[in-house]
Amino acid sequence: MSDLDNAIAQLRACRPIPEAQVRELCHKARELLIEEGNVVTVAAPVTICGDIHGQFHDLMELFRVGGDPPDTNYLFMGDFVDRGFYSLESFLLLLCLKVRYPDRMTLIRGNHESRQITTVYGFYDECLRKYGSANVWRYCCDVFDYLALGAIVLGASNTLSPPNENVSSEVYEEEDIEIEVCNADGDIMSRFTRQAADQKSPNGIPARTGPPGSGASGSSGGSNGNPTGAVLCVHGGLSPLIDTVDKIRLLDRKQEVPHEGAMCDLLWSDPDEIDGWGLSPRGAGFLFGADIVKVFNHRNDLSLIARAHQLVMEGFKEMFDASIVTVWSAPNYCYRCGNVAAVLELSEDAGGEGVLARSNGEVGRSDGGGARGVMAESESLLKSGPARRYRVFQAAPQDSRGMPAKKPVADYFL
Amino acid sequence: MSIPAPTTMGPPGHITSAQEPYPSPASLASATTTHRQGRFEISTRKLPISKAGPIDAMAADVGIPIPEMIFGDNLVAVAHAPSGWRIEFTARDALDAVDKTGESMLQVSYARDWSATREISGVKEVVKPFDWSYSTTYRGTVAAAEGSGEAANGERRRTSFVDEDPAAGGSGRQIPLELLKRRDPILFFDDVMLYESELDDNGISVLSVKTRVHERRMLLLARLFMRLDNVLVRIRDTRVYVDFATDEVMREYTAREASFEDIKRGLLMSGLRPDEITVALRDANKVAELRELKVVDYKMESVSLATS
Repeated sequence: MSDLDNAIAQLRACRPIPEAQVRELCHKARELLIEEGNVVTVAAPVTICGDIHGQFHDLMELFRVGGDPPDTNYLFMGDFVDRGFYSLESFLLLLCLKVRYPDRMTLIRGNHESRQITTVYGFYDECLRKYGSANVWRYCCDVFDYLALGAIVLGASNTLSPPNENVSSEVYEEEDIEIEVCNADGDIMSRFTRQAADQKSPNGIPARTGPPGSGASGSSGGSNGNPTGAVLCVHGGLSPLIDTVDKIRLLDRKQEVPHEGAMCDLLWSDPDEIDGWGLSPRGAGFLFGADIVKVFNHRNDLSLIARAHQLVMEGFKEMFDASIVTVWSAPNYCYRCGNVAAVLELSEDAGGEGVLARSNGEVGRSDGGGARGVMAESESLLKSGPARRYRVFQAAPQDSRGMPAKKPVADYFL
Repeated sequence: MSIPAPTTMGPPGHITSAQEPYPSPASLASATTTHRQGRFEISTRKLPISKAGPIDAMAADVGIPIPEMIFGDNLVAVAHAPSGWRIEFTARDALDAVDKTGESMLQVSYARDWSATREISGVKEVVKPFDWSYSTTYRGTVAAAEGSGEAANGERRRTSFVDEDPAAGGSGRQIPLELLKRRDPILFFDDVMLYESELDDNGISVLSVKTRVHERRMLLLARLFMRLDNVLVRIRDTRVYVDFATDEVMREYTAREASFEDIKRGLLMSGLRPDEITVALRDANKVAELRELKVVDYKMESVSLATS
């Protein structure tokens, strides 16, 4: 394993590894990925990340903020390459970490992990520039074809664990915090309790039960600390051809991202403020509304869909009553957008005693929801989301990166 | 949500580091750089991409989805101090000049293939049709002179552009390119981005404004560059020329187009290697030089702001 550790060290210094080593790495990665299903099952705790786009130094900042692998489990939702200047180093580092710590790193495919897109948006050119041939690009593209299309996170808790050692865990047990936003240093910027979120108990009594052993009364929702519904992670979104997670499992994913079919939709579609499904005005691509997400989540025992694919200025954006969230992890996108980035941290369920929820997320457990009369049930039966911590961070300092000059160079344009 | 301000802050003004805090609307003025030349004030403002709140507000205001990279606080303005006449370029007004009806809507190259395999889904309705290529016809926002155009001597001043097209009775004058080709010292220069869209990975649409100011004259170029992969390339240039001696302002609008294939061939013929072509296809300046682009719209106007 020392070769791999050396490669990791070299890539962490943002230095490409030799072509022969890339070839070997990609070969190993393919052997590993081929064993993974289209939808990988991941156990909380896990930190979910959105687009990286070759912003290597910001990926290092992400690891600083979110915790270094393998101490933190990571799930990256694709778009590792293109646009940034260090697609090669970023993707190869993630791939090395995947091969080195297969159970602690999950990589799923984004729409940029494609031959066609990378030839237009930079990764192909970068490989050519750094190696003088397109071989490395080809090796990487072969790996792209084996990346999973999605992931299911199981066992995420209703209760967050503290963001750093200076914060006591008591507050999380007492206040039923659903969402917490931290800055890059782990300082708490804002908190939202479930009561505030759904206005169900204006008198301040927790809507759900207290922590195990606290003597708080029970409810049909189960005791606090139990795992919530599963979280589905995909790069883009849903597809009208997919009504259950199991249908994703049936796709033949080992190919270039096609224009046709559900595989394309999972990597390309976007949520939008519409009813039902719609076509993008571009003439290709689906848009889906809140009703689609809610029905899908209910049918599949999901409490949340996490996706990436769209730049959001605050790093994350929850939509449709927190049934779907966009996570964006490329700060100062394209080195000039000035946006912040975020990662989504899900805590491990402490009360579950290691037993995962019986969930559609597990292979073969789906009943497809068909017998349950999804539409007849009221929205209040939707699973509440797991407790979520967003760590928001800015771009890494811009020293010595060979970035384009910020000050424009005066020229005699006409 | 707000990002806590770092302890050391750079000077207000242009963003020189991503570590800088995001300026509040109150600090917009301090983020503006102004250069005075003759009786004119040239101002530029460069701030980070707009946040979610302002983007939602702009989408509601303009009535179309906003490009993902929107520099809503950025500004380039040229103002004539004595008369109060002013032309400015902002992202909001540029997007307002994008077709909102869907009449001139383009389709991505693979739309036919894509939709042919999607009939089974039964989804037919196009959501919010509009010109998603953001091919604006924007030529700047002109603010009428203050004081209802009355000069001190009571003589009525003309402070709106008049057509220079000879067919419309104009003089047929052109922007003096030869003077602008001289290497006169540049006293003020800026390049300000207003918006950019990746067209959902189908190309690029970018609107930016460059300006250079010399002792006797200045030139401003607002350029829209739209490339829809395997379909179409558009360059729409608005040039504003100011003569500081005569207080005359000329505005020229040139819209050019070519098929994507023609542009690619043009780049190949210009001697670029195939791998350099993908890079050149992202460079508005490279593409703008190509003769393959044909003029589809042209307009020349001028306004004289001299107090006589």
